Amino acid sequence: MDCYTANWNPLGDSAFYRKYELYSMDWDLKEELRDCLVAAAPYGGPIGLQSAPSCWTVLCQDRVAHILLAVGPDLYLLDHAACSAVTPPGLAPGVSSFLQMAVSFTYRHLALFTDTGYIWMGTASLKEKLCEFNCNIRAPPKQMVWCSRPRSKERAVVVAWERRLMVVGDAPESIQFVLDEDSYLVPELDGVRIFSRSTHEFLHEVPAASEEIFKIASMAPGALLLEAQKEYEKESQKADEYLREIQELGQLTQAVQQCIEAAGHEHQPDMQKSLLRAASFGKCFLDRFPPDSFVHMCQDLRVLNAVRDYHIGIPLTYSQYKQLTIQVLLDRLVLRRLYPLAIQICEYLRLPEVQGVSRILAHWACYKVQQKDVSDEDVARAINQKLGDTPGVSYSDIAARAYGCGRTELAIKLLEYEPRSGEQVPLLLKMKRSKLALSKAIESGDTDLVFTVLLHLKNELNRGDFFMTLRNQPMALSLYRQFCKHQELETLKDLYNQDDNHQELGSFHIRASYAAEERIEGRVAALQTAADAFYKAKNEFAAKATEDQMRLLRLQRRLEDELGGQFLDLSLHDTVTTLILGGHNKRAEQLARDFRIPDKRLWWLKLTALADLEDWEELEKFSKSKKSPIGYLPFVEICMKQHNKYEAKKYASRVGPEQKVKALLLVGDVAQAADVAIEHRNEAELSLVLSHCTGATDGATADKIQRARAQAQKK
Amino acid sequence: MAAHLSYGRVNLNVLREAVRRELREFLDKCAGSKAIVWDEYLTGPFGLIAQYSLLKEHEVEKMFTLKGNRLPAADVKNIIFFVRPRLELMDIIAENVLSEDRRGPTRDFHILFVPRRSLLCEQRLKDLGVLGSFIHREEYSLDLIPFDGDLLSMESEGAFKECYLEGDQTSLYHAAKGLMTLQALYGTIPQIFGKGECARQVANMMIRMKREFTGSQNSIFPVFDNLLLLDRNVDLLTPLATQLTYEGLIDEIYGIQNSYVKLPPEKFAPKKQGDGGKDLPTEAKKLQLNSAEELYAEIRDKNFNAVGSVLSKKAKIISAAFEERHNAKTVGEIKQFVSQLPHMQAARGSLANHTSIAELIKDVTTSEDFFDKLTVEQEFMSGIDTDKVNNYIEDCIAQKHSLIKVLRLVCLQSVCNSGLKQKVLDYYKREILQTYGYEHILTLHNLEKAGLLKPQTGGRNNYPTIRKTLRLWMDDVNEQGFCSLIISQNPTDISYVYSGYAPLSVRLAQLLSRPGWRSIEEVLRILPGPHFEERQPLPTGLQKKRQPGENRVTLIFFLGGVTFAEIAALRFLSQLEDGGTEYVIATTKLMNGTSWIEALMEKPF
Repeated sequence: MDCYTANWNPLGDSAFYRKYELYSMDWDLKEELRDCLVAAAPYGGPIGLQSAPSCWTVLCQDRVAHILLAVGPDLYLLDHAACSAVTPPGLAPGVSSFLQMAVSFTYRHLALFTDTGYIWMGTASLKEKLCEFNCNIRAPPKQMVWCSRPRSKERAVVVAWERRLMVVGDAPESIQFVLDEDSYLVPELDGVRIFSRSTHEFLHEVPAASEEIFKIASMAPGALLLEAQKEYEKESQKADEYLREIQELGQLTQAVQQCIEAAGHEHQPDMQKSLLRAASFGKCFLDRFPPDSFVHMCQDLRVLNAVRDYHIGIPLTYSQYKQLTIQVLLDRLVLRRLYPLAIQICEYLRLPEVQGVSRILAHWACYKVQQKDVSDEDVARAINQKLGDTPGVSYSDIAARAYGCGRTELAIKLLEYEPRSGEQVPLLLKMKRSKLALSKAIESGDTDLVFTVLLHLKNELNRGDFFMTLRNQPMALSLYRQFCKHQELETLKDLYNQDDNHQELGSFHIRASYAAEERIEGRVAALQTAADAFYKAKNEFAAKATEDQMRLLRLQRRLEDELGGQFLDLSLHDTVTTLILGGHNKRAEQLARDFRIPDKRLWWLKLTALADLEDWEELEKFSKSKKSPIGYLPFVEICMKQHNKYEAKKYASRVGPEQKVKALLLVGDVAQAADVAIEHRNEAELSLVLSHCTGATDGATADKIQRARAQAQKK
Repeated sequence: MAAHLSYGRVNLNVLREAVRRELREFLDKCAGSKAIVWDEYLTGPFGLIAQYSLLKEHEVEKMFTLKGNRLPAADVKNIIFFVRPRLELMDIIAENVLSEDRRGPTRDFHILFVPRRSLLCEQRLKDLGVLGSFIHREEYSLDLIPFDGDLLSMESEGAFKECYLEGDQTSLYHAAKGLMTLQALYGTIPQIFGKGECARQVANMMIRMKREFTGSQNSIFPVFDNLLLLDRNVDLLTPLATQLTYEGLIDEIYGIQNSYVKLPPEKFAPKKQGDGGKDLPTEAKKLQLNSAEELYAEIRDKNFNAVGSVLSKKAKIISAAFEERHNAKTVGEIKQFVSQLPHMQAARGSLANHTSIAELIKDVTTSEDFFDKLTVEQEFMSGIDTDKVNNYIEDCIAQKHSLIKVLRLVCLQSVCNSGLKQKVLDYYKREILQTYGYEHILTLHNLEKAGLLKPQTGGRNNYPTIRKTLRLWMDDVNEQGFCSLIISQNPTDISYVYSGYAPLSVRLAQLLSRPGWRSIEEVLRILPGPHFEERQPLPTGLQKKRQPGENRVTLIFFLGGVTFAEIAALRFLSQLEDGGTEYVIATTKLMNGTSWIEALMEKPF
């Protein structure tokens, strides 16, 4: 080892690279490496060599892709896991290598070209042979493709060499064409396109309808109809003869259909026209021929002729067009920026705007925003002028595209035109225009959207700015308050504070006095804060009430300490009642006085409590303490409620005249009630008493009332 | 099929079928057996859309109520949460998902937001680390639920409070969405009228949404001619008064929930002789009330006074029909009789039920207290002594009657006086706080914020003007609390539903249809919020050419709730021969004064 760094090669100033031998490879290779496919795995994996395949193709079966590979005389089928040798059934012997293979457009068929000039055609599954052909040309073809038509039983393969084109199929003879120039084949759904430097051609099997009509000496109904129409134009009576012939066979409908169909397969507008004219002519003699097929064919052909024009250069056949669908065709036009034509087609076909014109305009707009040399204003205006309120245009998509091109200002301008706020908001947020997003969200009325922006803003702004933003948006503010009420109580307080909303602050502290505080001191302190806030809110009543509540709480605490039992959180009314029920009349009186309970209510309260206690003696004493501010009917009622008729009667006599009848009825003294009512000469009272008269017992009373009534009426 | 939904002028079954289809489509998205975890509030409204049988057809095997901790065991492939988009529910769902047993069989989670998906909720689920656990997160836009052939409700309990107290317009947004769904099914409504701040908002949202959807041109021939949006706070009075229709009273006394009522069972015990009344059922009797029941459809909207005579007439007809069997001589006659039996038996059962209910109600309505309360209410509504402290209310407080009853009366007085004098107001408030507890100061604040309870400002009472111009009080209807029998049986004016008081909201609707609001501009200005008219242009092909004599159809949407008495009054207008307008009613919530006040109450502990 002379110099260790001898194989070091510098790259730049700081790095060296070196290369040394792992093994000396003394293989017994027959081929050169360049003739092989080489596969080697990393991590020191093995090295595999395979002589290069002569040709290969992709097969697709049951949604699984396979590779068909030809190496010498052998065919291999590879999938993601395995490799197996396959042999096409009925393959002629003597093949030493495959030169070309071709899969049909539908992936159903496979053709193999061998070095013996032999062509094998079969199914792609390699299970069945369809036919074979020997062209005796050993030169490898330049290209080989299938030429077939949907729903046709005919199978043919087109093989191209430098100057020769050959169509072979299940027939002993082939068709041969001479190629003047280098040409290239493009397999299509229903044929093969051939193009060269100076021409572009289409090779296909003549469709059935065209064949029927145009075959020499054809007597098919379509052919006769075409003939009839031509004669008609010549004003010859032969027209009638042809027409009769068709009608006698009852084939006029079929004839019309044939002509319509054949028109679709014609490339030349002149020929299309004459076929359609024939169909139209035939239609006149039919009673009920649904017009759709004719109308649609006319429309489709018009579209096809338009795109086939060499300025556009999309040589679609009718079958291809139907397979492709108008939507895809429009997409292709749009991608080629052929907007006017696409719009004309939409309008001509009367496509719904969402699928048609709007979509194209939207694409146009997306292209437009990429024109960097035009100012934001001009682009936005141009777009809005063209699109206006076209339904189904998503201005936000266009704006997103503009934003994608780095044109934020343009994006915002475009978003102004977007009617759906749901679409505006996310993009505005993405562009960090949160405040604008907020007002858009509010406009929409979608509260969820507003919340989303709010939470975004909350993270984006500092607290002060956030609150300021809220302040200018009352709806957002009230929503955020709701959110805080459930999620962040402290923030709620800050919000009220910021707005000097003392009334709500007061309520907030009232709630807090129940929720957060266990100890009486804490509760009173919270209430004090509430009362202060109410004062600031100039809500004197609430402030006073809260102070009363504090006083009551302290008092209740004391009562619990001194008397035992449960007083906390009873209402004032219930506290007094509890005291009376517990026999603490003095305290009750004191409390009532302290809190200035109105006399009337205090009487009710005492009355109810004493009756509950069934302390009739005390009740009577109470009733006589002074003139009852609530009258004496309640005394009667409450005694009766406790089923004490004896006590009730005591009070009934003291009830004032207005309620006397009622009281007497309550204690069941119908007769006396009747007397009083008669004395009052009060009709309502009389009927009330009468309604209380039951059967036999009160018969006499009832009579008495009736008499009194009769008398009253006489007067 | 729910046949009673298709009887009306507008076939609401179309809507029901549409929402059912949407539900099925969602269920089918979650292939395999399923368990549904319900936000409890949703089960009632869902019952009107899809019975368990429908869910079962789509492999729903288990149903649970949403609650914390681990989900109950269920051998199903899918767990689907049916929830309203509320943050607190998201927390529970996350708890459920996180405590899922990892060793057990893996189950797929899905979430169905009713009525709308919410970014806020999804963010919450994301923050809790469970968003990825849900395979399908979708929304089920069940905004308006068909209750009857002419009645739709969102059953959104908090709508009034949210809109008028909290400034949260979520339910207005849902209402607008619901109206868009209706228009998608029944055609664009060419004219929109409205009164009130919220009505204005909803109309704005609708117009905006229409612009958003311009792509999908609606090519349905319009079924509705008009939409009338009414804020509940334009008419705070009506719900406070006691409803006096049959259905209204059932609701006042027992509360109707999602068209079901629970009644005390005693009256419904099967009467067997010699059974001596033992084995009385103890579980409340649950009855569904809607127009599918012939008899109920006939009496629900009558003044309660007129119900008795209908019931006895029916009883005679039915027993006569059963007597027919004695006349049936030939086999053919007997066969015909038998074929009618099921219908007759159903009718007899229905009659028995309603007779029992009517008896229950009668017990209440004939009580003295009910009479006194009604007298006070009617005095207030006719403008008598609204400006001073009322004795009856005082007595109610002193006797500690239910607080809601007291609040209803005080609010009624306040509304009928355009606010109370400060002294009167403070007196009531003090009495209430002292009697029921100081915590109710929060409730009182809420009522004040909602405008139900307020001091009179400017010393002017506008109510008499409103009452006179809109003819809210019909004196001749009144007799002894209830209407006189003749008028209650053959009413000529909507005031029969409150025995004298014509609901303001319905009067506004009536005047809109004829002669138009221009005649009452002055009163409209006194009532809160703007009034407006919007037109939604129709393509020429869809413009309606009305046949002579053909009635217009008006969709009337009460934002903030509607009572059964108001509905009855609108039905009465629909049936008027020369009325010219038929009504379909929509609302955020079917309610009465009690449930309304209850929703506004706040209990801090």
